[in-house]
Amino acid sequence: MPDDEHTDMSANNPPASSDRWPGDKDAHRGDNDAHRGDKDAPRGDNHAPGGDGAKPVLEADHFSFSIEGKLILDDVSCRIYAGDFVSVIGPNGAGKSTFLKCLLRLQEKGRSEGRIVLDGRDINTYGQKQLARVVSYVPQAGGWIPPFSVRELARLSRFPHVSAVAGLSRDDELAVDKALELAGLGRLAGRSLKTLSGGERQKAYLAAALAQEGRVMLLDEPAAALDPKHAFELAVLLEKLNKEDNLTVIMVTHDLNHPLRTGGLALVLSGGRETYFGPSVELQREGILEAAFDHKFLYLDHPSGPGRLVVA
Amino acid sequence: MSFPLRVGILIFLSLLAAAACPFFGLTFIPPESIFIPDHPDSLVFWRLRLPRTAAAFFAGAGLSLGGLVFQALFRNPLATPFTLGVSSGASLGASVYFWLGGVALVKTGSLGPLFSSLAGAAVSVFLVWSITSSRGGLQTAVMLLAGVVVNFFFSSLVLFVQYLSDAHDSLRIMHWLMGSLAGVETARLAELAFVVVMGGVFVFLLSPQMDLLTAGEELAASRGVRLKTLKLSIFVSASVMVGTVVSLAGPIGFVGLMVPHACRLFLGWNHRRLAPAVFFAGGAFLALCDLASRLVLAPAEVPIGIVTALLGGPFFLWILFRTNSAGDLF
Repeated sequence: MPDDEHTDMSANNPPASSDRWPGDKDAHRGDNDAHRGDKDAPRGDNHAPGGDGAKPVLEADHFSFSIEGKLILDDVSCRIYAGDFVSVIGPNGAGKSTFLKCLLRLQEKGRSEGRIVLDGRDINTYGQKQLARVVSYVPQAGGWIPPFSVRELARLSRFPHVSAVAGLSRDDELAVDKALELAGLGRLAGRSLKTLSGGERQKAYLAAALAQEGRVMLLDEPAAALDPKHAFELAVLLEKLNKEDNLTVIMVTHDLNHPLRTGGLALVLSGGRETYFGPSVELQREGILEAAFDHKFLYLDHPSGPGRLVVA
Repeated sequence: MSFPLRVGILIFLSLLAAAACPFFGLTFIPPESIFIPDHPDSLVFWRLRLPRTAAAFFAGAGLSLGGLVFQALFRNPLATPFTLGVSSGASLGASVYFWLGGVALVKTGSLGPLFSSLAGAAVSVFLVWSITSSRGGLQTAVMLLAGVVVNFFFSSLVLFVQYLSDAHDSLRIMHWLMGSLAGVETARLAELAFVVVMGGVFVFLLSPQMDLLTAGEELAASRGVRLKTLKLSIFVSASVMVGTVVSLAGPIGFVGLMVPHACRLFLGWNHRRLAPAVFFAGGAFLALCDLASRLVLAPAEVPIGIVTALLGGPFFLWILFRTNSAGDLF
């Protein structure tokens, strides 16, 4: 079953149409485990998480969200399991960032319907610190640059693990060191965020989120302000964390080739509606992106690897 | 120099400066004479100068802490209890008290100005808060604008009350608006010290959260800060501190602007370091300003609000022109 498809992909010959992954989301919502055999296939490893009875880490259950009567998210449902790498894509204003913020309960105003469930519990039953211990967050770049050094920003992110009165313990400092090391920022630790380049600063935010030590990491367009090299490095780092530490990654991105390259899952939003949720390799099949972006894409065979590339 | 050492040195120098203030004035009081019972110098020192310096110290500490937390809340160096309407609210409360005191001979004891100022501060806080909330969430920009509007509105009302008052009350209001520490009674000093010290401890406990707030609201929330609770705590604690100071000494401007800013230059933005530094440096600063107000035109006194304004105006300009490479104000 899934292996057949895998073979198809490698052979650079995606099926023109398939009833396995139709755009209709209800079809795949029923068999959550089926996609997980596929998702790792393009990466050539198989760290299929959990057993068949595994529970989702994060689940949106018919979730809708509106601000002042305007519907931003309309009946979004998805189940995300430990170790999943989910790319959230869609046109501007599709509700991608709002979706991410709702997963973290960052949206101050607005009304929501349906549920977001984290580790089997409604997200609204979590305390703010409790939530921050499970979910790390890399905000969208730009705007205010905090007057802190790289290390200070990472130390601040230990807040959910520290009591109100006590300072950071040795373990906390070690976690900060480890996060800076992982992000490749050991050398820049003492530098002020204001003196860094955009790419370095983005890494500093990633390091801060790593210091938070959540099992799930949400990233809002982490590569938006980066040049291709830095964007690539960031992607490689995220894949590494996803594979080696089983970090669950949910990332909003505008780079349509990123999900094709890394595999994993794609959640496609358009006008607040979920138009596709499934293996991201399927994005190379015509129709899914077209429906979301209302635009005709070009699909080119990858010159050196399996699969195809998308060109706008 | 490490940061704890810097904080230590700053606190030491601040205490030294504040402790020196009561010895100076119209006449210098030799330190050895203050322990001679019933010596005129000793009486002046213990009965007049020390309480006054202490009042200046705690007023300065309260105003500076108020500035510090508002600046963290709004990530804006110009956010102070004054720009946010808290002190104009307190001023209006006290002005109304003086006016009614003249018109209707209301007698509410010496606590009158305190309660009327706190009531005025509370009204302005409530207004700013409800205007902001009604716009959805608690957005910083809306809050700042609401503060500016309330500030202008209440300042005009203060002028209106002054216009309605007779010459005597009007003069009292005017003197009070210029700020003075001369009239702070020893009994009230304990209230002031209590409020400001409690506020200082509270702010110190909030300092990690204020660091995160400085880094950005969204970031703070994602790291486990309950934004609404924190904002409300900051607003209320700062308003109580500032309202208390204003009720006793009048609206002394610019202290909450200058002291936190100067401390940040030496200590960065870490509020765990800043809070104690600002507390002591603010106290020492206002004690020195009070000394200047007694010395400059001696034997006459310059209202302390005028001293701080004379220092604050140029300082304000200096902040504006001192832009760093990133071109922003911090």
